[in-house]
Amino acid sequence: MSAVWRASRAAVRRRRVQTFVIGLVVLLSTTTIVVALALLEASSAPFDRAFARQQGPHAIAVYDPAKVTDAQLTGQRTGVAAAAGPFGQVTLDLTEGGGPGPRGPLTVVGRADPGGSVDRLNLWQGRWPTAAGEIVLNQPDPGADPRGFPPDSGEVTLGGKRYTVVGRAHSLSQTADAWVSPEQMTALHPTSVQMLYRFTGDVSTKPAVHADLAAVTAGLPAGALIAAQPYLVVKEKVASDIGVYVPFLATFGMLGLIVAVVIVGNVVSGAVVSSFRHIGILKALGFTPRQVVAVHLVMVSVPALIGCVLGTVAGTLAAQPLLSDGFAGLGLDVGINVGVWIWVAGLVGVPTLVALSAFVPAVRAHRLSAAQAISAGSSPRTGHGTRIQRRLAGVRLSRPVTLGLGLPFARPGRTVFTVVAVLLGVTTVTFATGLADTLTRISTIEDRASGQIGVRPSDGRTRIAPEGQLPPTGPQATTTRTDTEVEQLLRGLPDVARVTSVFRLPVPTIGQTQPLTVNFVRGDYSSMGYQDELTAGRWMTRADETVVPSELMRERGLKIGDKLTLELGGRRTVLTVIGETMDGAPGPPGMFVDWRVLTELAPDRAVKPHEVYYQVQLKRGGDVAAYVAAVKAADPAIDAWDTSQLSDFAVTVIGFSSVLSLLLSTVAALGVFNTVVLNVRERRRDLGMLKSIGMTPRQVVTMVLTSMAVVGAAGGVLGIPLGIVAHRYIVPTAADAARIAIPHSVLEVWQAPTLALMALAGVVIALLGALVPARGAARLTIAEVLHNE
Amino acid sequence: MTTDTCVVRLDKVRKEYGDTTALDGVSLEIRTGEAVAVMGPSGCGKSTMLNMIAGLDRPTSGSVRVHDEELSRLNETKLALFRRHRIGMIFQFFNLLDDLPAIDNVALAAQLTGTKAGPPRKRAMELLDELGIADRRNAYPAALSGGERQRVAVARALMNRPALLLADEPTGALDSRSGEQVMDLLLDLNQIGQTLLIVTHDERLATRCASRVVELADGRITRERSLERA
Ligand SMILES: Nc1ncnc2c1ncn2[C@@H]1O[C@H](COP(=O)(O)OP(=O)(O)OP(=O)(O)O)[C@@H](O)[C@H]1O
Ligand SMILES: [Mg+2]
Repeated sequence: MSAVWRASRAAVRRRRVQTFVIGLVVLLSTTTIVVALALLEASSAPFDRAFARQQGPHAIAVYDPAKVTDAQLTGQRTGVAAAAGPFGQVTLDLTEGGGPGPRGPLTVVGRADPGGSVDRLNLWQGRWPTAAGEIVLNQPDPGADPRGFPPDSGEVTLGGKRYTVVGRAHSLSQTADAWVSPEQMTALHPTSVQMLYRFTGDVSTKPAVHADLAAVTAGLPAGALIAAQPYLVVKEKVASDIGVYVPFLATFGMLGLIVAVVIVGNVVSGAVVSSFRHIGILKALGFTPRQVVAVHLVMVSVPALIGCVLGTVAGTLAAQPLLSDGFAGLGLDVGINVGVWIWVAGLVGVPTLVALSAFVPAVRAHRLSAAQAISAGSSPRTGHGTRIQRRLAGVRLSRPVTLGLGLPFARPGRTVFTVVAVLLGVTTVTFATGLADTLTRISTIEDRASGQIGVRPSDGRTRIAPEGQLPPTGPQATTTRTDTEVEQLLRGLPDVARVTSVFRLPVPTIGQTQPLTVNFVRGDYSSMGYQDELTAGRWMTRADETVVPSELMRERGLKIGDKLTLELGGRRTVLTVIGETMDGAPGPPGMFVDWRVLTELAPDRAVKPHEVYYQVQLKRGGDVAAYVAAVKAADPAIDAWDTSQLSDFAVTVIGFSSVLSLLLSTVAALGVFNTVVLNVRERRRDLGMLKSIGMTPRQVVTMVLTSMAVVGAAGGVLGIPLGIVAHRYIVPTAADAARIAIPHSVLEVWQAPTLALMALAGVVIALLGALVPARGAARLTIAEVLHNE
Repeated sequence: MTTDTCVVRLDKVRKEYGDTTALDGVSLEIRTGEAVAVMGPSGCGKSTMLNMIAGLDRPTSGSVRVHDEELSRLNETKLALFRRHRIGMIFQFFNLLDDLPAIDNVALAAQLTGTKAGPPRKRAMELLDELGIADRRNAYPAALSGGERQRVAVARALMNRPALLLADEPTGALDSRSGEQVMDLLLDLNQIGQTLLIVTHDERLATRCASRVVELADGRITRERSLERA
C-alpha cells in the first residue's frame, strides 16, 4: 500500500489547485447541505419536534372533582401510554393592572414539578413555585432576544391576591397560563382537575383523539368530563403561524441539496477523469488496476474529508442561530436544532457521495488499458464537438470567440454538469430576490397600513410595552383627554399626515354563533394603505359596507356580497361584505366597520381613550422618533411607539435565503472554476500551440471566458424562468398554507430590468469562476507546455 | 553584414532552469535566406535556443534580436503579435487542434487577426494545394498520417508569410519516407527565399536542407560549419 500512498501524495502535491478546489467545494457544499437539511428538518415538522421533546399530551381533559375522585381518575388506564395529573385547576381573573401579561381570565394549575412523563415544561427562567404566594407564568423562551418581554421579576394580582412570579416556563400544549404549588392550589379550592394523556392508539385526527378519550373515560360517572382538548388544536394554530414560511424554507433546502450534490459530483468525477493520463502512466509503471483506483480515491478523499469536517462545523454554526431566532419567537423553543442525523449526513453522507463520484470514473480507468488511458487524458474528441467547432470556424466573429464557443461541446458531460450548477445557482438567486422583494412588499404594505406609529393612552394602571422595548416606567397616570381630544392632539403634532382611530369590539351577529370582532375605524383609514392589502373586491366607500380579513372570511365561511346583521344594545344594522383583505388592523382579525355605525348602534356609548388604538402616518421624511417623543412630551399618560419594523420571521426567511443564495452562487462559481481548471489542464498543449502561433494573452482570456459565458448564459436563460415559476407557485402556496390570501401586487416583482440583471447573474457567476483559471491559461509558459507534452 | 540582412542575432544568451543551465552564453547570427541546422545531443539546449528566438520564453541574460526587434523589450501581447507576424513554427508532434479539420487548422493562424473567415481559408487552401494535401483539407488530424499532419503544420506555419521558419525536429516523429517529403518541402521553401532554422538530430536532414550547421553541447556552441548543398 505504501506505493499507493506515495503516488497519491505525489498526485496531490502536483495538483495543488485542484486539491484545494476539491476541498473548498466539499467544504461549501457540506455547509450548504447541513444548512439545507437543518432547514428541511425544522420546516418539516417543527411543532411535532417540539411537541415530542416536551412529551406533550395528546389530550388535555378537565374533570369535575365533585363527580369523580382522584383515585378513579388515576385508575383509568385504557389505551394510555402515559398520564399526568390529576392537577387541581382554577380560573382566576388577572385584574387590570395586576401585572404584565394578557388581561382576562387565567387558567392556574397546581403542579409539584415541571417535569414528569407528560408535558415536560421548559422552565427557562427562575425556579418552580414551592411556597404559598409563588407562581410561574407560561411564556415562551425569548431566546437570545428578550426585547418586548416583561421585566424579569414581578408580581401579579390574580383573583384579588398578589403572587410573586418566581419563574417562567413554557408549555407548548398550553396546559395552563400559570402554575402554583399543589398546596397553594388546595388552598385555592380548585373547581376542576386536569388530566394530561398520551395515548398508545391513533392520534392523527381529532376524532381519533376523541375516541381515545372516550376509551379512557368509559365507566366514569356521567358529567365527570367537563372539557377536553386534542393537541391538534394547538398544532393547527402553530401551523398557521409558520405555515406561510415553511414552503419557502423547504424550497431553499431542496435547492441547496441539489446544487451541492451536483457540484460535488462534478468536481470529484472531473478530477478523476482529468487524471486518466496519470492513470495510464501508473499502469505502465506496473500499478495493478486496484492500486490505480486506490490512488485516485485517496487523492480526492484527503481534501474531501477535511472539507466535510469543516463544512459540517460551519453549517451547524450557520444554521443554529437562524433556526433558534426564527422558531423560538413562535414558542417552538425546544427541539429545534441541528440534529445528530444531520451531522451524520455531513460527516458520512458527503464522503460517501465523494467516494461514489470518484469511484465511477475510477472504475472506468480500472478497465482502460494503459495506452487508452494515456490518450483519453489528452484533449477529448467527440463527433458532436468537432462538428460544432467546424461550423463555428466559418462564423464572422473573432476566432478566439468562436473557438471559445466551441469548447463546451468538447466535453458535453462536464458542460451539462456545469450548466446545471449555474442554472441552480441562478434559480436560487432569482427565487431569493423575488421572495425577499415579495416579503419586503408585504411588510411595506403592512407597515403602511399599520401606520408608522402606534398610540394608546394608558388606562392608569397598565402601560403598553411596545415590541422591542421595555414597558415605560415611572408614575402611572390616566390621560385627562377624551378620545376626540387625543385624536386632535395627534393631528396637531408636527409632520403628521394621517391618523386613524381603531376601537375593537366583539359584536353579536345574527346567524353567527359567536360574535364577530369588529374594528370600528375613524379618520384617514381609507388612505392609510389598508386598501393595498385588498385581495378581492373593493374598498368600502359607504357606512353600510365592510371589508373583512381573509382569515376571518375563511373561519366564518363568508364571501363577498354577504350581508351581515350586527346587533348592539337591541339595535341592528345590515352591512355588506364588499372586499377581502390580507390583513386587517393590528390584533386579532376583525372586520373594518366605519365608526358612524358604532354611533348609530350605540349612540350613548362613551368610548374611553384607553380603549382606542391610534395609528399615525407621517409626511414623507417625517421623523418617527421625534414624533414619538413629541407625543410623550405632550401627554406622559399616552404611550406611542414605532411600529414600522419587519416581522421577525420575515427577517429570518430573508436571512436564510441570503445565506443560501450566497453559498449556492459561490459553490456554482467554484464548479465553473473547477471546470475551467480541468479544461485548461487538458488543453494545455493546444493553448501552448495557439500561443505559439500568435494568440495574445487577451485572446486566450477571451477564448476561455467565452466558453464559460456560453455555459453561464445557458444556465441563466434556463434558471430565470425556473426561479420565476418557483416564486409564482411557492409564494401563493405558502400564503394558502397560512390560510391568508395575498394581494396580487406583491407577486409582481419581476420587471424587465430586474430580469436582465438576473440573466447577467448566470454569466457573472460563470465568468467569476472562470476568470482566475483563464488568466492562468494566458500566463502558461508555452515553452514549458510544449516541452512537457 | 548589415542589420537588414540579419534576421536573428543572439548575443551571449543564457538560460537557466533552476540549477540547470540550458544555454550558456550563446551568440549566433542568421542572415536572410539562410537555412541553419542546429544539432547536438539530447538536452544540450537546442529547443531552448529555438524558444528564445520564437519569443516563447525569455533568456535569463543576454539579448535576442529578431528583425531588429529586441525581444526582451516586448510585453506578452507584443510578443504574441511578433510571433503571429514574423515567426512560423513547426513541432516534432505537430500540435494541431484535434477538433478542427486540416483547412481550419491552417487558417487559424491568420484568423487570429480580423473576423473574416473567408480570405484566410482561401490562402489555407492554396497552401494545402502547394503542399500536395489539398484533397485531405476536410480531414481531422486524427485521420491524417504523420507526414500529412506535419505538412498541415508546415502550411499553418507559412500562413502569415513569416520572415523566419523555426522547426524543432520536424521529422522526429515521422518514418523515413514521410520525413524525406517534409525535408524536400523545407528545402523548396528555402530555395524560394524562406529563412529557416531547423533543430535536428538527423545529419541527413541537416546536410540536405541547411547551408550552415551549428553544433551545441551543454548549452554552448561548439562548432559551426558551412555546407555546400548538393
Ligand atoms: N521548462 C523547463 N524546466 C526545467 N528544465 C528545462 C526546461 N526546459 C528545458 N530544460 C532543461 O534544459 C536543458 C536543455 O533542454 P532542451 O529541451 O533545450 O534540450 P534539447 O537539446 O532540445 O534536447 P532534446 O534533443 O532531447 O530535445 C535540459 O537539461 C532540460 O532538462
Ligand atoms: Mg528538444
